[in-house]
Amino acid sequence: MNILVIFFLLFGLFFFTGGAVGIIRMPDFYSRLHPAGKLDTLGIMSMVLGLALYNLNHFSAGTLLLSIKMILIIFFVFLSSPTATHSIVDAGIRAGLRHWSKEQRRVE
Amino acid sequence: MKFAAFLIVSLCGGLLLYATADLPAWGDPNSPAGTHLSPHYIEKALEETDVPNLVTAVLADYRGYDTMFETAVVFCAGLACLLLLRDYTRKKGSFYRHIPTGVVIHFKENRKNPPKSREFEHMDKEWVPYDLIMKTVCRILIPFIQLYALYVVAHGDFSPGGGFQGGVIFGSSLILLAISYNLRTVMDRIKERVLGFLCVLGVLVYTGIGVLCMIPGGNFLDYSKLAVFLPVDPGHVRALGMLGVEIGVGIAVMAVMVVIYVNIASEGRHDEGL
Repeated sequence: MNILVIFFLLFGLFFFTGGAVGIIRMPDFYSRLHPAGKLDTLGIMSMVLGLALYNLNHFSAGTLLLSIKMILIIFFVFLSSPTATHSIVDAGIRAGLRHWSKEQRRVE
Repeated sequence: MKFAAFLIVSLCGGLLLYATADLPAWGDPNSPAGTHLSPHYIEKALEETDVPNLVTAVLADYRGYDTMFETAVVFCAGLACLLLLRDYTRKKGSFYRHIPTGVVIHFKENRKNPPKSREFEHMDKEWVPYDLIMKTVCRILIPFIQLYALYVVAHGDFSPGGGFQGGVIFGSSLILLAISYNLRTVMDRIKERVLGFLCVLGVLVYTGIGVLCMIPGGNFLDYSKLAVFLPVDPGHVRALGMLGVEIGVGIAVMAVMVVIYVNIASEGRHDEGL
């Protein structure tokens, strides 16, 4: 059980690190939103899943309820975070922000 | 008028500042709050009020009078927003969109009530096409957000939560509806009159419970006297009184949030915005 928990936590940590590096290193607004939206969703998913499993070590009705609540958090984050990213990108395109390209290094 | 308002505000502020000089020093362990009040709350709150959450017990019971006026302050904020921003003049002209063809019609005068049908859609001046993803996800999420708000209100005396937080969550779910659809959708569901009524109702529930405690001969907001009306274990009555008060706070905060948002977003016209 604990091995599974550690695996999930490390998996989530990997994605969080990747997301953080991506937010700093990516060249422009749109591509920065990509790690912010996607990797955080997956990172939170595996981390909270690991914590929910760890919480079940002492199995009882109370801890089961708590774990179900945690999995509900995953569900709602999974639903809302990509939508928020999508609408931010949408707003950026509507406002006329140009995307980055290799030829045009400096975004005007 | 402005000078008079300034005078009153500076007088009140000066009086408050003058009164702070008499308060005990910051973090003074020998102050009355440190020697008597806090130990009493920490040791006796559970057996006196039957509420496991100490914060709620202090906020809604021991300091209930204070919280009542906090609710009144929230109510005043909503009222001030309404009085300052509400604009009853109807704007000239409105845009309609014929849905099957996408043709937009501009009515320059509002002589009659515009046609209300399935084919025509009233649209904002700065119209953006509805985003299907946003709309669908918000439609799925809003009921859950509202359910969670009710959970937070109802669990105020067991776990972190309470009327203020729950009311804010409920209000934000309605604001989310206004953002993802448009302002008219919200205003069609909750009429302005109902919103105003809910603002008042919340404060009235709070003060009403306070007055109800006076009928059997208790003090204002002394929930233990409610045992006459409630057929439950007398030890649990104060917890129920707190729950009632929290519900009042939740209703008031929810309505005030929506009133403030709607008035600011639409510049007081309640028709379009954001």
